[in-house]
Amino acid sequence: MNAHSHARYEALLKVTGQARFEGEIAPAGLLHATLIEAPIACGELVSVDAVEAPTRPGFATLVTHDDSASLKSSAATTLIRETAIHFHGQPVALVAASTLAEAHDAARAVRIATAARPAVTQMDQALGAAIAPEMVGRFPAATRRGDVATALGEAELVIRNRYSTQVNNHHPMEPHVVVCWWEGPKAVVHTSTQAIFATRATIAQAFDMPPRNIRVLARFLGGGFGCKGQLWWPWMFWAMLASRKTGRPVRLELSRAQMFTLVGRRQQTEQDLALGFANGRLTAITHDVVAQTSAHTDYSDSTAVYSRLLYACPNVSTTHRLVRTNEPQPVPMRAPGTAPGTFALESAMDEAAERLGLDPLDLRVKNFADHDQETGRPWSSNSLLSCYRVGAERFGWADRQKRKKRDGRWTIGFGMATTLYPAIRQACRARVRLNGDASLVVQCGTQDMGSGTYTALGQIAADALGIPMAKVTVELGDTWLPDGPFSGGSQVTASIFPAVQSATAQLRAMLASMAASDANGPLGGKTSDDLDFEGELIRSRSSNAAERLSDVLARTAPDGLVAEGESAATDHPKLAATGMGHGAVFVEIGVDSALGEIRVRRVCAAFAAGRILNPLLARSQYVGGLIGGIGMALHEQTLTDRATGCILGKSFADYLIPVHADMPEFDIAMIEEDDPHLPGSVKGIGMLGSAGIQAAIASAVHDAIGKRIRHLPIRIEDCLGPACDTAQR
Amino acid sequence: MTVTQPPSHDARERTPPRIALSLTINAMRYEIEISPSATLLDVIRDQLGLTGTKKGCDMGGCGACTVLVAGRRVVSCLALAASFDDAVVTTIEGVGTADHLHPLQAAFIRHDALQCGYCTSGQILSGIALLSENPGSIAEIREGMSGNLCRCGAHPSIVAAIAEVAGL
Ligand code: FES
Ligand code: FES
Repeated sequence: MNAHSHARYEALLKVTGQARFEGEIAPAGLLHATLIEAPIACGELVSVDAVEAPTRPGFATLVTHDDSASLKSSAATTLIRETAIHFHGQPVALVAASTLAEAHDAARAVRIATAARPAVTQMDQALGAAIAPEMVGRFPAATRRGDVATALGEAELVIRNRYSTQVNNHHPMEPHVVVCWWEGPKAVVHTSTQAIFATRATIAQAFDMPPRNIRVLARFLGGGFGCKGQLWWPWMFWAMLASRKTGRPVRLELSRAQMFTLVGRRQQTEQDLALGFANGRLTAITHDVVAQTSAHTDYSDSTAVYSRLLYACPNVSTTHRLVRTNEPQPVPMRAPGTAPGTFALESAMDEAAERLGLDPLDLRVKNFADHDQETGRPWSSNSLLSCYRVGAERFGWADRQKRKKRDGRWTIGFGMATTLYPAIRQACRARVRLNGDASLVVQCGTQDMGSGTYTALGQIAADALGIPMAKVTVELGDTWLPDGPFSGGSQVTASIFPAVQSATAQLRAMLASMAASDANGPLGGKTSDDLDFEGELIRSRSSNAAERLSDVLARTAPDGLVAEGESAATDHPKLAATGMGHGAVFVEIGVDSALGEIRVRRVCAAFAAGRILNPLLARSQYVGGLIGGIGMALHEQTLTDRATGCILGKSFADYLIPVHADMPEFDIAMIEEDDPHLPGSVKGIGMLGSAGIQAAIASAVHDAIGKRIRHLPIRIEDCLGPACDTAQR
Repeated sequence: MTVTQPPSHDARERTPPRIALSLTINAMRYEIEISPSATLLDVIRDQLGLTGTKKGCDMGGCGACTVLVAGRRVVSCLALAASFDDAVVTTIEGVGTADHLHPLQAAFIRHDALQCGYCTSGQILSGIALLSENPGSIAEIREGMSGNLCRCGAHPSIVAAIAEVAGL
């Protein structure tokens, strides 16, 4: 497989406005729906008075919990079957009308009565009631190895701090949307989801219908970042019920304000972390996390998991606990677990380096883990040390203290940190059709949320068969296609690779035997291991002989050839080695001495995540991830009003995200790895950029103003006042 | 929980008030009837089906709905359509076609200045208007583009594409 910076497959459609997102499907007779929200954070829905709404112009139907009684009970239907209210803004009914304005108008005419109970509107109100989950994702929630207490007691240096991170919201630019209708017993669901097959399975379960009667489409997604998953399903079901009741297609799109409450968030964390050192080596780590979850579903990021394995350390203890509050439900968001977890661990490493009088980079190199100490397995590949070296060189890390610490009104600081993310795969099927004219169609029912899946699918197949990308058609985002992975956890490219490869290997074998079996053809009698595929030709390696693919096909398979490939999910218990992508992030920041404003000026990151298929698109992924990380570090926080449980400032005016004016210079280094354990040496890359940078920024702020800030986001108010040494430095 | 509804849904077919509007969009003349409260975005995206113009927030906060009115950028979700009678509007569909791309569209592809593509129409229209304002530096481009949010993090490539077309 060759790396090649092909332009993004669907770029032309996107720059000309021709890419049709699923919410833009406009069937005749389309109704528009809106959700009515509970005005309380905890209690019970008592009544829905809809006497007046049907008299409003354009009114078509009202869907309530009564209608959901026809749905089977499951996790996805709890909120629409049970009338308990768990958070402020929880939908209690849906209204559909001829236009959106009419739906809003009719919704205002529906009167809701609720009975409120006292609500827990913030984590600190219920710390005593924290619960301990069994698992955090696929990892045990609590682990212990060695003797942490003794090691901490004997350590020469102990760094012990509390780190906290705020709630963030994903905010893909495209809000969640569904356009759905029924064709007799069949449902057609166009929706912005990161998981078309899981969506189909949940519909099948809730509506008690066979999956083959359901078609879910998500051919273009305007971002997702973890929020276009399960939390959307109940409201999508209500749109489907509205369609079933009216016999008309229905469209429901969330408002930007609802993107704060209905579709998930990065959970708030309080992390107690202690590091013990002897001779500059880690002897003990304790990492205890308390995080917010909702009153109706438990969810925990794998926040402390990475403290078990990033560094060599014999004594490690980690725990996760959850506090249930009447706030919205958390779900994974960009670098779930690693982003908040490395903020704590890597901030503490920086502090330790300072206390030990070591360069933060040297401390990390010294504590490098040469195998996965949690499982005892080797790494499938691990080029973290190269990331440190290459990143430091390109950034000019060694010379940083010689640089000016002031630039006009800006006080300059430097920081670095490590990032990592597991490399795992899901089961996947893919179909590759080679047409008679040697054009290719690649089909896989996964989706592309902007990560480059169209391009990757096309490129893997094109490369294997020596066909130019211009002759490749990629089809994804439709449950009529072979089952593909959900878009999450940096797994898609690694999952589709072996499936597509298996399909193309079959095609190569068929083509090779077709070419070789024609005694009069140019390749007659050649063996298949002598044959190569490039430039739309089958070529003999041992001689100059070659034949055009289209000629081979015309002779023996004028209608073309089809093959399906299949690959399995990572079988964790049976793994011989732990797959992990790594990176080292170096940042230069400036703090405005008078105003306290923090600006990231320069980011240099070196990543090692297997083989890179397309450096152009990989760079976009890495940079995009880093920008998400800057948002978490300096901008983003979602706050809840203590009195009402209402989310404060549900708009882009109040929820700050990085914009063009916040952009630093980016220098991205990609270190290639051969990984004998992973098909094609492919690891996921999507999450890597979004972790590590938070701690690098916090350390750079400390370098600039001499103040350790142990919470995110770091805001102007943190960089003002007597503790901030901006003037003298 | 009790749900009270009248026995039969008698949605009265009251005709809501409509007003006439003339618009020139991408050199096409439209004579249409609109709701008095419709925004320019509603008209373009929903009524006329020009879905290249996106809705990201409907509150003027993201720039996804940016269109050009007489060459100047307007967030169409905050523009009351009724006040744009006779306006000359450019949407992404009028910027360039697959065969005749605008130089900025071509630069977006080369620089991979998009990921999900949902902000892209707004970024390109905003970029075209900014180019006509002759930005003198990368910093000026960043500043001038800051009303167009991108959540995928395509910013550096977007700015690089605009800078290339600006000759910076
Ligand atoms: S949709 Fe108009 S600015 Fe966001
Ligand atoms: S490319 Fe996805 S929001 Fe900009």
